[in-house]
Amino acid sequence: MSSPIITLKDVNKTYPGIVPLHVLKGINLEIGRGELVSIMGASGSGKSTLLNILGILDNYDTGEYVLDGTLIKNLSENRAAELRNKMIGFVFQSFNLINYKNAVENVALPLFYQGVSRKKRNKLAMEQLDRMGLADRAHHLPGELSGGQKQRVAIARSLITNPSIILADEPTGALDSKTSKEVMDVFRDLNSSTGMTIIIVTHDPGVGAKTNRIIRISDGMILPDENV
Amino acid sequence: MKLALFDAENWKEIGSTLARNKTRTFLTAFGIFWGTAMLAMLMGGAQGLENWLRRNFEGFATNTAILFPGRTTMSYKGFNKGTAWNLTFTDLDNLKRGIPEITAITGINNMGVTVGKGKLSTTTTATGVESDYSKIFEPIVLEGRFLNETDDLLGKKVCVIGKNVADELFPNSSPLGEFIEVNGVYFLIVGVVYQTSEVNIGAKLDDSVIIPMDMFRRAFNRGESIGGLMFTVKDGMTPTDVRGRIQRILSNNHPLHPDDENAMFFMDVSEQFKMVDNLFMGVTLLALFVGVGTLVAGIIGVGNIMWVIVKERTQEIGIRRAIGAKPIDIIVQILSEGIALTVIAGLAGVSFATFALKIPEILTADPIKGTVNFTLSFHSAMEIVITFIVLGVIAGIIPALKAMKIKPIEAMNAK
Repeated sequence: MSSPIITLKDVNKTYPGIVPLHVLKGINLEIGRGELVSIMGASGSGKSTLLNILGILDNYDTGEYVLDGTLIKNLSENRAAELRNKMIGFVFQSFNLINYKNAVENVALPLFYQGVSRKKRNKLAMEQLDRMGLADRAHHLPGELSGGQKQRVAIARSLITNPSIILADEPTGALDSKTSKEVMDVFRDLNSSTGMTIIIVTHDPGVGAKTNRIIRISDGMILPDENV
Repeated sequence: MKLALFDAENWKEIGSTLARNKTRTFLTAFGIFWGTAMLAMLMGGAQGLENWLRRNFEGFATNTAILFPGRTTMSYKGFNKGTAWNLTFTDLDNLKRGIPEITAITGINNMGVTVGKGKLSTTTTATGVESDYSKIFEPIVLEGRFLNETDDLLGKKVCVIGKNVADELFPNSSPLGEFIEVNGVYFLIVGVVYQTSEVNIGAKLDDSVIIPMDMFRRAFNRGESIGGLMFTVKDGMTPTDVRGRIQRILSNNHPLHPDDENAMFFMDVSEQFKMVDNLFMGVTLLALFVGVGTLVAGIIGVGNIMWVIVKERTQEIGIRRAIGAKPIDIIVQILSEGIALTVIAGLAGVSFATFALKIPEILTADPIKGTVNFTLSFHSAMEIVITFIVLGVIAGIIPALKAMKIKPIEAMNAK
């Protein structure tokens, strides 16, 4: 395994409440640079919480999370947003494209928050769309695209800031099996051609099987590794 | 970090967001447009109404009193009550000397006369006044001049005629330097005047022939007596303040008890003005009350729309935050959209109100008195727009801050 891009050491997370919910119980995890891994688990296993922590969308209570050499702990909302913007590319189950912006504008949006000029970011966005084979759909609104196309736009968006990792949350959950396969092929190509680290959270064994390593989570704990 | 306000990229982003959500943009803009327009029309309307009413008093000194003798109601100096008395020229001199607070005083004599020039003649009112008259009730001089102190002193047979009299007797030529016959006596015309106010003493200036007091007395055999008098007092006083002293001075030469208030007709115009002022105050307060109500309703409207905007864009906000928008980016975006809308729609509303206020301006236009200014000043128009922006921002900040409390992931999953 290459040098780890993600290191989690004894990460605990409890949701406070009348009955506090201990969701993550001492997670220890290392993911190497250039890996294509899937995180699998049943619903309620803590998989989504782990994803949120990996994506700097949520805080954890104790432990340590180091992403690409940066300790992610007790960040201000502003710093978290900045790190999300620069280090993480998100791909979601429901695509989460802004429906009144066309494909190229959606792809370019993360660069807007980096203060890149419109001309430059649209050029970069076009390059990413071209890479996804969607250059001819650049000026279509999300509503005019098929599910597979939407997800490829979302992948293009996740790539535009040249992030450290791609974090995909059930990326094929809303797609039929044929399109799912296409999207998974995109991830695989991306991983093999550019060495991009890709983490896919899923409950679909078919998707898990397409990755190089499966991390199983159950009841807030990581089960022993199983390399495919 | 870049300053969002001066960042062209930011405005392009806002512009495209507003342009893509046409219905929402239009509805919000219309609400702001209507609010500012209503407020501007209300404020302009109230101001215009006041101007319109005040126009009726133009040229009339507000601290004036008018005094006419009547019959006594108390017996005094051996005279029974019910005795009639007359003001005289001596009284006028005594008052001038005895009460330094009086700044201008004139006797007034009125008399119905027949005025003729050549074959044309008309019946009208001749009024004898002193030159101080113009300090109390400023006439508007159309041609020539009004009576002056020299006319009082030299006893020349000059007169000033009202506009309507001039029109009747001199339909085609200027009356200046011409002589007219007033009840058989010839007078040289030195001026033509008219009045804009609706206040009349005796007859309207437009329909009068005004003759110096002393000349009037001699020409028409009026003896020592004066029909009535008008005077003004210095600033900071009202005529009522000197009434007691007037009564005491008059009591010396007349069978007038110093406490007999009903023996004369004494009208303190400043009190009438005070009533009118109170009326205007009422109108202004009403406009202010309704205006504040409109403003509050407008702001609640803006705030409500901002709230809906934030609500229906929760998912979008979540997406934007997940891909790296800082909370301040989102707040600036929402507020900038609100401000951009408020500025454009607010200016449109104020402009619309300006045109709408032209209508009463045209309706109340008078060929002589001119137009009444109903239009809002640029200053107050800007005040309305800026108030809307400031309050709109405050109203928009609350939902924007609330949106920040939702975690990006939850926001994204909100539908």
